[in-house]
Amino acid sequence: MAIDINRVLLLGGGPTNIGNENELDAATLARLSALKKNGTKVIYVDNNPFSVTAEEIQPANIYVKEVNFANVTNIINKEKPDAIMATTGGLNAMQVAWQLVESGILKDNNIKLLGIKPKNLQVTMDNEQLRSLLKEINENIIASKIISDEQGAIDFVRDVGLPVIVKPLSSNHDTNRFICNTEEELEDALSKSFSYSYIEHVSIEQSIVGYKEIEMVGVRDQKGDKVLVSGLEDMDPIGIHSGDSIIFAPTQTLINEEYQTLRTATFRIMDSLGITGCCHIQFALNSETSNYFVTKVSPFFTRSTLLAEKASGYPISFISAFLEMGYLLTEIKLPSRFNKFTPFMEPTSDHIVVKIPVWPFEDVPETDKHLNTMMKSVGSTIGIGRSVEEALMKAMHSSQFSPRDILPSVTNMDEDELINQLIHPLSSRILILMEALRRGYSTDELAELTKIDSFYFYKMRQLIRAQDYVNAHPLTKHAVDVGHQYGLGDGMLAQLWHVNISSIRQINLESNFNVTFKQLEPSAGEMIQDTNIYYSSYELENESEPFEEKSALVIGRGGNQLGPNSAADYYTSEILITLHHCGFKTIIMNNNPNAVSLISQLSNKQYIEPIQLGNILNIIELEKPDVVFLPGNRHFLARELVRRNNRHMKIVVLPADQKIATFNARQATNSVITFVDGKDVLPITTFSFLNDDSDRHLSKIINFKEPMETWQQDESTLFDEAKERIDSEKWQGLVEVLFDRNETGHFDFVGIRPTRITQTALLSKTTGINWVAILVRKYIGKLDVNQVKDALNNRNPQRFAIMKAEFPFKKIGSPKLIGNNHQEVGSSLTFENFSSGSRANL
Amino acid sequence: MTDRYLILEDGSAYLGKAFGSLATTTGEIVVNSTMNGYQEIISNQIYHNQIIVFTQPSIGNTGLDHNSYESVLPSARGVIVREYENLAKDHYKRVSLDRYLTQHKIPGIYDVDTRQIQHHLHQFGNMKASIVDVADDHAFDQLHATVLTNQQVSQVATQAPYANPGEGDNVIVVDFGLKSGILRELSRRECNVTVVPWNYSSEQIMDLDPDGVILSTGPGNPLDLPDSVLKMILSIQSQVPVFAMGLGHELFAMANGAKVSKLKVEHHGSNHPIREIITNEIFFASQEQGYAVDSKSIDHSKLFITHIDLVNGTVQGLRHRENPAFSVQFSPDGAPGPHDSNGLFDDFMEMISRRRQNNGNRY
Repeated sequence: MAIDINRVLLLGGGPTNIGNENELDAATLARLSALKKNGTKVIYVDNNPFSVTAEEIQPANIYVKEVNFANVTNIINKEKPDAIMATTGGLNAMQVAWQLVESGILKDNNIKLLGIKPKNLQVTMDNEQLRSLLKEINENIIASKIISDEQGAIDFVRDVGLPVIVKPLSSNHDTNRFICNTEEELEDALSKSFSYSYIEHVSIEQSIVGYKEIEMVGVRDQKGDKVLVSGLEDMDPIGIHSGDSIIFAPTQTLINEEYQTLRTATFRIMDSLGITGCCHIQFALNSETSNYFVTKVSPFFTRSTLLAEKASGYPISFISAFLEMGYLLTEIKLPSRFNKFTPFMEPTSDHIVVKIPVWPFEDVPETDKHLNTMMKSVGSTIGIGRSVEEALMKAMHSSQFSPRDILPSVTNMDEDELINQLIHPLSSRILILMEALRRGYSTDELAELTKIDSFYFYKMRQLIRAQDYVNAHPLTKHAVDVGHQYGLGDGMLAQLWHVNISSIRQINLESNFNVTFKQLEPSAGEMIQDTNIYYSSYELENESEPFEEKSALVIGRGGNQLGPNSAADYYTSEILITLHHCGFKTIIMNNNPNAVSLISQLSNKQYIEPIQLGNILNIIELEKPDVVFLPGNRHFLARELVRRNNRHMKIVVLPADQKIATFNARQATNSVITFVDGKDVLPITTFSFLNDDSDRHLSKIINFKEPMETWQQDESTLFDEAKERIDSEKWQGLVEVLFDRNETGHFDFVGIRPTRITQTALLSKTTGINWVAILVRKYIGKLDVNQVKDALNNRNPQRFAIMKAEFPFKKIGSPKLIGNNHQEVGSSLTFENFSSGSRANL
Repeated sequence: MTDRYLILEDGSAYLGKAFGSLATTTGEIVVNSTMNGYQEIISNQIYHNQIIVFTQPSIGNTGLDHNSYESVLPSARGVIVREYENLAKDHYKRVSLDRYLTQHKIPGIYDVDTRQIQHHLHQFGNMKASIVDVADDHAFDQLHATVLTNQQVSQVATQAPYANPGEGDNVIVVDFGLKSGILRELSRRECNVTVVPWNYSSEQIMDLDPDGVILSTGPGNPLDLPDSVLKMILSIQSQVPVFAMGLGHELFAMANGAKVSKLKVEHHGSNHPIREIITNEIFFASQEQGYAVDSKSIDHSKLFITHIDLVNGTVQGLRHRENPAFSVQFSPDGAPGPHDSNGLFDDFMEMISRRRQNNGNRY
């Protein structure tokens, strides 16, 4: 049934940003294996320097360009693809696809649009068309109207009732939205709004603030068969962006009738749009009346799609690629470790997944930290458990930046501030809600105040009781048992009782408390299959068996933060790929549902667990890996693991030698990157740092040009000096030698440091040599340095590569314009010919 | 939080904590993997004599909703779950899961490794089990000695007929352990319903002047029911449209000469794709089945297969070649479970109206 596609143009997701974590690269990479299996040639366009997908495609088939209409049109003219895949490129790629449809380019070139028919793409991209389609199929949408006088408002309210939201149009008070619960409030809002509006027009819409936000993710094949992959329930009501919400999967507080009604609505919408592939639909549900509204239709990959994949164990990314190519659900062949029925069995779960976002407020303090309809989180973490409490506690644990097994305390907050934060939630709201319960607020009071279903407060109260019990009974057998059941790992128990973790492990040993790893799979235990995904609980049956072959554990970075987040995920992924090539069974531990490093194609086993010492030790104890890799700056963990290493397990932190960086000064304009192996110091290339002219401080190095601007005259001199400066006794691996160009044009030596993760990624893209792979090989003793030498001898720079950081400031409402390297959210990559000569316009 | 045990006929025992009633009970243990609708599942009469293991890890989350009961007096023998939440959301904040189970003398155990039980039963098949205070030899002896009744239908079905009046078509529902979802669907279609006992004869039914007859779902083995039921079905199907579900479907098949056999592992869930053969479409429905119609035994001059389960290959739907009569193994009423096959009730209504247009003649 598959349509005949030989060459497909795959649109990438672009640089990471708020609302665009690594999920698009993860989904793209997962579908690449489906495309390869189908024998389809892939042409890929993306300008994300940290894309793992780009490493897996022949360089000749990659266009490092921004995904926009002009660039994609040029590529189409040159490459003449049969089909275009935009669904894993996010909203931007879908909009480009829409432009391609509108301009007739797809039709003229006889190119198929995969995933959705062109006319239906137009419907989903045009709000008015979508609204009328939804009305046609009897789906409720929020009524809204533009009015020019009070009578218009009265008529509107007579139809839809109160509450409504009133907004002045064309006003300089553009943040003004009035929620009107009574006629008096409406009158007041109207008179204000009409006076604020230059054109005396006001928009009025039904208010759904406080409704439950429910998300549904489904797949559909071209014949019309459908599978509902997962329902997701936002704990936070409408009014807080779903990207900033705590999300539960499966849904927790819907009765069957409500759930089935939304499931049916999802299918009806997918049918009416003729989706072939996946679709994510958001609903607002009034839990008192069970009425609902459709609030968003996304016929492409979103964070929630990936969350649904992680929560259900149903491989949406892989399956939807086949669906888009025209295969039916019943025709799709998954890898043999899966049950053959999995593509067309509706997933059912015997576990609970909780997602907690990660916000950038520590890195960007000058921001309004209130959660509202504007998404501000930059990353996500999940916790998985066999009970709601366990999953929630593990998610809270996972969302902590520090691996030290502690949750922040808010016990000192005064009452006024507490109430204020209950009504106007900040990112720390889950801790505030629990603190309120602790102080005696009732579940009903809190439900009324926050519009969060009282169920969640019942569960939080259980957690508090468990914690109180644990606190009151230190080092007792029963308290350890209670702690385990409620998601407090050994590490947290040790912290709560101020003892060494080994004391807890001793109690486990004596009491026969064993951590059990459960497989996360989509049939709730009915089918015997291997998804290779595991999470911990404390029960009877353990399902994870250690590998007989030599194995390597890679400890992922958890949720994205600002700084080198997506680069670190790239780095982690490449470590896994290399270890696999070197004959290791690979095990990843991570809790970021959007991480590329967590997709099933990249490792033999995935543990979704908090990246905390106690959890890591549990996995090491079971798996007994030969090597443990710690990508990133992980000194605490490295130290603790080395201290507990009683099995000659090799522990590798990459980039290595981070502690011995030496600086004469704190500013630089250029650098030389070298590879040091044994006594060999091999210069690789040079960089120019394209900073703000006035500021050359090291922390402000955010934009790079490779090779350096004046490489033809200066590179060889700097290479020589770098070689001299590096003491190979002290430095190994990828080493960066920094220089500062002074007023006279001379390059002063500044310092030496290990090459940062972001630059390593860039280096791999520009030199065509996978430097992460070389580092991994070096540290496991599988490197042939002569191959590196040969590759470097053949180096012949052809063009400048320019990598520019992107910042989240505007999206989170911060007044800042330029940030430092702890504040970047992603980067973009462009190439520039030497001949053009002009400096990049930065 | 009293400790209690779930003990299985094969000698295995699971320690957990008690909720609901503290009664000691014995039943057949089955696993249900539907993710929503614990209330509908527990109150479904199909679980008479059965202990239900939920794979959904958390139940009780939405309390008990007055619109979601599938029977007034539930007859399940026990509930096994990883965890439950005891909250009430009804108007008077009275009825929580714990209270409901206690009122109806159904014991529950939580804090057990339900995933392990699921794996265990899939390997060894369904078996008897008890919920007890102590897992000693005595308890196992009792378990082995207990003979579960085979009079399940007569225990849960109504003894006397009753009416559920409506303005529309006159539908007779033969109660083998009816679930309310069927009545709800008929009410939505404005039917004038009379529910009659399972042992009503075709004469008694025809005296009620039916436009159509529904053979309901129910518990247990269809072979335990007397032949008179099959005779009733044969007679009725030649006179009025018949729609049969669950146990009703098994009886309908048997009445038309097919054989029914017990599954090694009962299937309770809504995750299996069901193919409608005529359209080749896949859909999902709640399935609660311990028995299946043996497809080889079907007399194709009388019946043809309309639906099959793509995972285990079981017959999921049958239709009579000559009479306006059809049946499905699953629950199209979607309580709980997907609404995908809700249209089957419309098909039934369509049959009724077509028959009326033909002045009661066969078509």
